[in-house]
Amino acid sequence: MNALRSFSARADIETILAGLGAERLDVPVLHPADPFLDTAGEELRRRIFMSESETGEALCLRPEFTIPVCLNHLGAGTDGHRRYGYVGTVFRQRRAGGNEFLQAGIEDIGDADGPSADARSLADALSFLDALDAAEGTVTTLGDQAVFNAVVTGLGLPQGWALRLSHAFGDRATLDAALDALAVPPPLPDLPADIREPAEAHDRAALVNALSMRLRIAGLENAGGRDADDIADRLLARFDAAEIAPDAGALATLRKFLDIHASLDKAADALRAFASGNSLDMDDAIAGFAAREAAISAAGVDTAKVTYDAAFGRALDYYTALVYEIATPAGLVLVGGGRYDRLLTMLGAKETVPGVGFSVWLDRIGSSGGKP
Amino acid sequence: MSATVTIAIPSKGRLKEEALKRMDAAGYAVEPPRDARTYRAAVASHPHVEVAFLSASEIARELGKGSIDLGVTGEDLVREGLPDSENRVIRLAQLGFGHADVVVAVPEAWFDVDTMADLGLVAADFRHRHERRLRIATKYWRLTQQHFSQTHGIQLYRIIESLGATEGAPAAGQADVIVDITSTGSTLRANHLKVLKDGVILRSQACLFAPVSGDDGSNPAAAELAAALGA
Repeated sequence: MNALRSFSARADIETILAGLGAERLDVPVLHPADPFLDTAGEELRRRIFMSESETGEALCLRPEFTIPVCLNHLGAGTDGHRRYGYVGTVFRQRRAGGNEFLQAGIEDIGDADGPSADARSLADALSFLDALDAAEGTVTTLGDQAVFNAVVTGLGLPQGWALRLSHAFGDRATLDAALDALAVPPPLPDLPADIREPAEAHDRAALVNALSMRLRIAGLENAGGRDADDIADRLLARFDAAEIAPDAGALATLRKFLDIHASLDKAADALRAFASGNSLDMDDAIAGFAAREAAISAAGVDTAKVTYDAAFGRALDYYTALVYEIATPAGLVLVGGGRYDRLLTMLGAKETVPGVGFSVWLDRIGSSGGKP
Repeated sequence: MSATVTIAIPSKGRLKEEALKRMDAAGYAVEPPRDARTYRAAVASHPHVEVAFLSASEIARELGKGSIDLGVTGEDLVREGLPDSENRVIRLAQLGFGHADVVVAVPEAWFDVDTMADLGLVAADFRHRHERRLRIATKYWRLTQQHFSQTHGIQLYRIIESLGATEGAPAAGQADVIVDITSTGSTLRANHLKVLKDGVILRSQACLFAPVSGDDGSNPAAAELAAALGA
């Protein structure tokens, strides 16, 4: 049993969270499973503990805190800016080893000043480790999906591909597979004449008509989901993609971008050099990156000791920009953090609510030799 | 140690008939039980062999538990019903009947979708366009997950559990695409669905399986029966 699991250690953690100015929040252990599966995808199903209520509602033991904290924020009808601190157990299925993990963290929801909230999150995470005497020797890595998206947009890749690459970002194997596939022109599908002719002629109205007819015959006209416009857009995009020769140069540039590593204090310059060297307009993304770097530095973090890795991200579509990780020299991740501006709308918010947060894997700190 | 061998055979339908025929042809004619309601039968030529009639999906579970020596059932039921089946059961023989493919099928009118990669693109911005995830109706959630998530890196979808008439789910508005079994494809065509080019998840048929723990050669009678059935 990890020493951080003792009552007195938990009290210490609560004190640290309070010292960082976070408001204490408790969320239920047992939770509806849908919000987790909807946001993270079905793959999560294998890794969480599912149960069912008597009325058939799918429930799970919380696998993490961010989603419950956000739901709590929305459910309380809270407006404006709040910073929630939490500590408790999360549950994940693993083939070997334990299934319960002690986590603590801070979720900062509703702060309109993105760079300063990002900076405070990273600084808080480092302070938290420091308070547990576990910051010594750690390695901080930072990534930014917004910069990656700016590169993809700047390269003028077809929209469908931009989306696919953007989703693959953060998972290097998936991303490399997508890049390989992009290098090969997609073969055009075999189409019946009533569909092929308007598609070849780029006659969108006629194509939509023909597709509507097909959907009606199949009884799918009012079934919800994809409609004729949807299918027509993507089909026309495929005809475009088949006509555009794959640009080997653009793909090489993207791979070059993914290889960028720099200390955070020099990263904005590295990005500027990359942009001008490849004639890409990514001024806005770089300005945002530089503003955040300045805020991180102002928050007291030594940015020379933070590594920017252009390929670092999380393959979850609610992470929108900043992601970071603090690991031991051996690579054991102690803290994961990031900005999730898309999450609260996915969970039901009517308009965009910004959010950024981090979680500390407390069990790993105990086992990595810090002072519990 | 008793040398009794228990082989489980599906308790009804075509799988049962075909399995009994194969036992017969292998020289292990199964005596019909005196009472048609019992679920155990004997083999006159081999008194140490006991036949248990179980439901096809139950056979998968019993194989997983190791409570039977041999079992004849559809491979789809083993791969779906038994977690980590690769390490828990051995497929000794494909028996050549009960063919059914587990496939990913989408509406025929999705002319822009031929492959899993195309479907991945549709899934990627489905939420953005329709304010929900792409829905897949299936009773094969394990196989679906393996094919979508592990093989093709597609994460953004939801599984809608469907225990029957799955091919009707798209028209009923319950799901966008389906994962189901098909043998001739005629039901899919009748429902205006098409199989993706790389959408065959498993080419299933009736197979002879043994639990990993049981097939260590320690039971020569079981090995003999398996060999007679083509293992």
